[in-house]
Amino acid sequence: MLRNRILIRVFSLIVGGLFIWAGILKIIDPLDFARNVSNYRVLPPKLSLVVAITLPWIELLCGIFIIIGIWRRASALLISLLLIGFIALIGITIIRGISVDCGCFGTFSRKADFILMAQDLGMLLLSGTVFFKAKQKLPIR
Amino acid sequence: MKLKKILCQVGLIVFMGAAIGLILRFPLLSEYGAGEFLREDAVSEEYPGILYITLAEAEDLFSTRSAFFIDSRQADLYHAGHIFGAVNVPYGADDTDLLLADWERPLDETLVVYCDGEECRSSVLLAQMLYDAGFLDVRIFFGGWVEWLGAGLPVEGDYAP
Repeated sequence: MLRNRILIRVFSLIVGGLFIWAGILKIIDPLDFARNVSNYRVLPPKLSLVVAITLPWIELLCGIFIIIGIWRRASALLISLLLIGFIALIGITIIRGISVDCGCFGTFSRKADFILMAQDLGMLLLSGTVFFKAKQKLPIR
Repeated sequence: MKLKKILCQVGLIVFMGAAIGLILRFPLLSEYGAGEFLREDAVSEEYPGILYITLAEAEDLFSTRSAFFIDSRQADLYHAGHIFGAVNVPYGADDTDLLLADWERPLDETLVVYCDGEECRSSVLLAQMLYDAGFLDVRIFFGGWVEWLGAGLPVEGDYAP
């Protein structure tokens, strides 16, 4: 039980930390991120800007909540849903043959490719574990 | 019941995040509403082949030598300083068309067009010309000369940093 609890804390810290970092980098330069979103050629430009303005804050809040343990399961679920969306988007982008910067970590971003997909899958595994395992009432010691 | 509660919390997080973002970035949305970025949008809608790239991407293309850099500023600015290896195709000059017509570059080559920085638009306009001329992979580096120089990346010209 104790190991479970530590594992969930560690997973939350990794996923939360990455989401906080990703969120902050995008909050700093929303126009840059809007271009990244627009480059995926999935959303019209107007919507790209709205996504670029709102999504980083959602990521940041999720990251903070999952780490401090407030609404941990909800944050883990939302992070998982976001990651599923990102993975699907990368898949579509690869299939369409568009070479695009992922925009995930501001200027530290990499190409939207299979490696990124694998990274997102890894994170999904962590956030999914937090979502499913954190539901067990863990004894307070 | 528990899932319903979690879904409510998910909705609240989304709502809070969206609200904070929209409130804090309201001035940006106003600028957008006032048509500040319309030209940029027009490019995205009419020229889906044109991508916007960041400094990191430009640097990546530069270091791997996988793109041809084009400086769209006027000749005097280009001669004062430009990205190392970039050629000058000043947008709006009398011979812009001639310069492009003389080009014998493969149409599938990756082209990176830049001008001064965020404020200038000649890179966008030249990118459109190049796209219309048949080039398939045209990218605009919006950070331009200012961002490149600021990052201390390789430059050449009369300007000595």
